[in-house]
Amino acid sequence: MRIEEIRIDPRTKLIIVLCLSTLGIVFKDIISLVKILLTTIFISICFHVDLMGSIKKLKSLLYILIVITLAQSIFSSDGNPLVTIGKVTFLTTEGLYKGLEFIFRMMIIIFSATILTTSSSREIVQGFVQWGLPYEMAFMVAIGIRFLPILTEEIKDSLIAIQLRGIELDKIPIKKRIHVYSYLFTPIVLGTISKAERLSIAIEMRGFRAYDSRTSYMVLKMSILDYIIIFMSIVTTIIFYIVY
Amino acid sequence: MTKLIEVENLYFKYKGSKYNILDGVNFNLSRGEVVAIVGLSGSGKSTFLNIICGIIPYIYNGKIKGTVKIWGQKISSMRLSEISTKIGIVFQDPDTQLFSPTVEDEIAFGPENLMVDREEIGWRIKKILKVVGMEDYRYENTNNLSGGQKQLIAMASVLVMEPEILLFDEVFAQLDKEGKKRISQVLMNLKEEGKSMILVEHDYNNIKFADRIMELKDGKLQEFKGR
Repeated sequence: MRIEEIRIDPRTKLIIVLCLSTLGIVFKDIISLVKILLTTIFISICFHVDLMGSIKKLKSLLYILIVITLAQSIFSSDGNPLVTIGKVTFLTTEGLYKGLEFIFRMMIIIFSATILTTSSSREIVQGFVQWGLPYEMAFMVAIGIRFLPILTEEIKDSLIAIQLRGIELDKIPIKKRIHVYSYLFTPIVLGTISKAERLSIAIEMRGFRAYDSRTSYMVLKMSILDYIIIFMSIVTTIIFYIVY
Repeated sequence: MTKLIEVENLYFKYKGSKYNILDGVNFNLSRGEVVAIVGLSGSGKSTFLNIICGIIPYIYNGKIKGTVKIWGQKISSMRLSEISTKIGIVFQDPDTQLFSPTVEDEIAFGPENLMVDREEIGWRIKKILKVVGMEDYRYENTNNLSGGQKQLIAMASVLVMEPEILLFDEVFAQLDKEGKKRISQVLMNLKEEGKSMILVEHDYNNIKFADRIMELKDGKLQEFKGR
């Protein structure tokens, strides 16, 4: 089943994401979290989300997740010890359980959010606007999201520039590397601010907030399928919550 | 001839600067006229355009003296959004002018802000994409376009608002030969349509079609007398 070919309203997707993330946060036992994660993955596949691509993009975030998981496991002293060096216990059954719980919860949130990537940022903004959120606010969020790749690009450009001057970042000690990064901070921030300023000028010169209201060329219209999906999502979430 | 823009004794100094970048500039733009402004880097060409369209002093600060009028109305008494309905400006870097996920969304943004009717927006998008020769890219992601194509979409996004005056701030700067050729053709077509334009440019080959060429030198704007 490839739902994305049928054109699902972005508001429907937002509700699905909201239901899945709520379940991910509310439940605390691993079995339930695994079930929710599998459901999330199944729904993502139905929406034809490029899961592998998303995982690759979130690779650096996954390392942070693993570190947090390990830290949580180590600092949890309840349960039976699993790894002990001398008199110090590094990992307990409870720690491992909490760590896994955290990683499953984060995966549910991340995978469910990938469903939104099947709609364009304009569609999502329009979804929020038709829900009653002021356009300026929704637009601000969309522009903020658009700015993340610009920031990444700015960082990459600065790193390349510094490497072209003969500094091999991979080969210098961590202390010196941090020192080099501190030098990069100012040009990256200034470059990003300058780009943001130019972008905001372009937006202003295109009549942004020229009037109190604005028309919208894009108008979202929910189909019966959207209503069915929303109903099923909410009902399933409630049932899941009550039963477990 | 109706004067669309009148600039009288304009002086401008950036905050913290010792000298005036614009030192007593006088300028007029008539309906249907195309004026090109040339000058060395840092001579104040972009500053001059920024003052005409209100970016200075509304966004960038500095010490400004003199009068700038659009249709006889002082721009100091107009809001920036009000100016944007009359003057359209296209900048040098297309990457900082495009912010929507698709070409259609990008072009629709301006007319949406101006409360243009939905049906009219649809009609204008179709027309403007034809003007810039990008009809096949209507649903394309703006990030996937080449530099020249991005600049054409940036131009289309401004043209679709149907401003009476168009300002182009070194729009050829980041383009390859093919991109320059396409933009030149669009500008020439706009001239034939009777649009009033001011072009700031380095390369004389790109401004051959201008009615007047002026040079900004030492803060003064004067008729260009040849290289």
